Amino acid sequence: MLSHAEASENFIADAERTDWHDETLWFVRAKRDKASKVLPEWEALREHASQVKDHTLANLGDYLVAFEAKAKANGIHVHWAADAVEHNAIVHQIIAAQGSKVLVKSKSMLTEECHLNDYLAEKGIEVVDTDLGERIVQFRNEAPSHIVLPAIHLKKEDVGETFHEHLGTPKGNKDPQFLTEAARQHLRGHFLASEVAITGVNFAIAETGEFVVCTNEGNADMGAHLAKVHIACMGIEKIIPKRADLAVFLRLLARSATGQLITTYSSHFHKPREGQEMHIVLLDNGRTRQLADPKYKNSLKCIRCAACFNTCPVYRRSGGHSYHQPVAGPIGSILAPNIDKKANADLPFASTLCGSCSNVCPVKINIHEQLWFWRQDLMAAGLAPVGKSFGMKMMAYTLSNPAIYRMGGSLMRRFSSLLNSSMNPWYKQREMPQAPKESFQEWYKKR
Amino acid sequence: MRVALFVPCYIDQFYPQVAVASLELLEKLGCEVIVPTDQTCCGQPMANSGFASSTEGCDTNFAQNFEGFDYIVGPSGSCVLHLKEHHPSEKIRNSVYEICEFLTDVLKVSALSATFPHRVGLHQSCHGQRGLRLSSMSERNEKPFSKLQDLLSLVKGVEVVMPEREDECCGFGGTFCVTEEAVSVKMGQDRIKEHASNAVDYIVGADTSCLMHMEGILRRQGSKVQVKHIVEILNHA
Amino acid sequence: MSAREQILGKIGPLAEVKHPGAFHGASEDFDFKASLEVVGARVVSPEELERLFPDRQRFEKTLDGLSLAEVEVLEIDGEFGVAENGAIWLTEEALPHRVAPFICQHLVIHVQKIVPNMHAAYMELTNQTTGFGLFLAGPSKTADIEQSLVIGAHGARSLTVVIHA
Repeated sequence: MLSHAEASENFIADAERTDWHDETLWFVRAKRDKASKVLPEWEALREHASQVKDHTLANLGDYLVAFEAKAKANGIHVHWAADAVEHNAIVHQIIAAQGSKVLVKSKSMLTEECHLNDYLAEKGIEVVDTDLGERIVQFRNEAPSHIVLPAIHLKKEDVGETFHEHLGTPKGNKDPQFLTEAARQHLRGHFLASEVAITGVNFAIAETGEFVVCTNEGNADMGAHLAKVHIACMGIEKIIPKRADLAVFLRLLARSATGQLITTYSSHFHKPREGQEMHIVLLDNGRTRQLADPKYKNSLKCIRCAACFNTCPVYRRSGGHSYHQPVAGPIGSILAPNIDKKANADLPFASTLCGSCSNVCPVKINIHEQLWFWRQDLMAAGLAPVGKSFGMKMMAYTLSNPAIYRMGGSLMRRFSSLLNSSMNPWYKQREMPQAPKESFQEWYKKR
Repeated sequence: MRVALFVPCYIDQFYPQVAVASLELLEKLGCEVIVPTDQTCCGQPMANSGFASSTEGCDTNFAQNFEGFDYIVGPSGSCVLHLKEHHPSEKIRNSVYEICEFLTDVLKVSALSATFPHRVGLHQSCHGQRGLRLSSMSERNEKPFSKLQDLLSLVKGVEVVMPEREDECCGFGGTFCVTEEAVSVKMGQDRIKEHASNAVDYIVGADTSCLMHMEGILRRQGSKVQVKHIVEILNHA
Repeated sequence: MSAREQILGKIGPLAEVKHPGAFHGASEDFDFKASLEVVGARVVSPEELERLFPDRQRFEKTLDGLSLAEVEVLEIDGEFGVAENGAIWLTEEALPHRVAPFICQHLVIHVQKIVPNMHAAYMELTNQTTGFGLFLAGPSKTADIEQSLVIGAHGARSLTVVIHA
């Protein structure tokens, strides 16, 4: 598995494509800016949403119990899964009881986190991802590279090729309208035939036991309303206290994600359809551990809008696949180490700590601060790359001793031309700063 | 007013002219400037690399050098932000100022005798901007303000041009500049491209780390564009 | 120990944080018609509607969603529209089947009432107990192929609205 730095280097090797990827996502950021500037109350909305989430997390246990009771009273089956393995087993059991071998699934990053598709495939069950972007990457055997725009790393030529291979569209046709129509027909067939539908959950309301699913395409609804069995998968942090709270979140979500006023569909599932079985699976998978750590608790406020991805100058120039796990970008970099420290130790360092992410986050997650905290925790856990720990100790020693610092500085300036070598990563594409004859302190001494 | 000059380590070693300009400017504006001579570094390089646990020696040396000062002023947004957020001494945290912040908020400078008849592109270093609030940020829905532009407006002849992406990061990021070299350089190249398209003579900012990174790329490209720390312009004859 | 007990057991007590209550200071000066156009819906008069969709239909309630698979034009009533974003609140009571506004090719909605923003919308929904409801804002759409906006993804290809308010 390549580290973020290695994968990014490969990504950037195609400079033109990197520029295209960067500009495409910057444009989404710009749309978000435009939408946010129209509302004078924008910053107040962010603060309000942040407080609602803070309050919810401070009372999460109570809200989860309240949600469960209401949902059950409305006829929804409520399941709890401690981890990804349990989650997948529960989902499988429900599908197996129905006997389905193929089913439709709308976007759920949680199911990516649990690798649900692969798990079910091993059990002989095919999952058809129905979000257009997700279906495209599914055909290509790739992971989504963005949690809202899964195929943002692909050009229309790429999609054209993929659809030619899998849907029989004419070779060379890259017209988005034509390709989308082809996908509509293809997936419509699956919607009409599927007896089981899996969806994600954007928000779950403790007060009423209902849950909300937001899409632009209508794929979650096409699946759920025709299926005999609807399984909704959610992380325990998706709870919000009251239905009225949805006003703030639905005003912030689409504007932050794409600059749209609201997603085309914001579907409120309160009770199963007559004759339908509705299930909801509540997943922990490390979220309680995050909740218990005051440094990282705030990451659970996330509403998966990906505004942080779009604003991140590093993400835009490295692509989602460089983050080597399901949720990329800034939020991914503070969530992933909680799941696997060793595998994801590079991610909190894939950042300049510029702070842009924290300031576009609709729920005011202090992402850039959490990146800093993770750096401390990961180094303390002994996960520094070879030589770094020693190098840092040397630096700390030198900088604690004025005389040694001055001597070290003087030597560095005297022999700085030695650093003009391919061994020095700085020197690969940049000139070294010119060494002045005197340091400031040396000059000041003579003043 | 009695002020201690904080000289960031890389400015001391590689860009002494920035500290000279800071010293001269503060004195011109009537401050008594003391320069502690045993100062070394603020500790940020270790802390941002995940080794905040190793900065005790550095922090102690800083506290010893700057004990008893109400105003510790330095020409570096990122170093000052680090001290404000992480130095163990509350007195130090409350006494450090980035120089533009100090000129605007404490000295309340309203006139300068500086002249700099050139076209400059302004680079808004992230930590100074988003951390120290030296200017408004494009992410927020807020009334625009800029302490940097306000100070530059007091300089005769200077023409300030903003790049299209007004506050995107340059890609230096501390050790990031070498651990993620490809992304770091690409970010720097993209910033420079925007300034170059505005036909500026200089790229100006309040953080020499950003400028050092961009200068390295500019010189590798053989560009005529140079970098200058804002304080060099504010102090320019 | 069940997963439920495990999970709830891991949630320790946290410092009290108050719920901020209702949101105050929301903008109200929105134009429903303009918002509808932004989300890709078309606004017409009852006369224009006759000309556009003379063969439109209202359908009887059904338990079989698939029976609506060939519907070209579906006509329904929305409970209210939201001026800030062109969304229309629909409940399953007003639909022949939950899938109806998605499975049809073209959708026509009559709107009798308009509220300014989402806060007002949820005030309207205070005592709502429907088993399924949704805010529907325009025809289905996607920009998943190189950010090119395509109207008509999996849901209705078009939305035509008649405002009676």
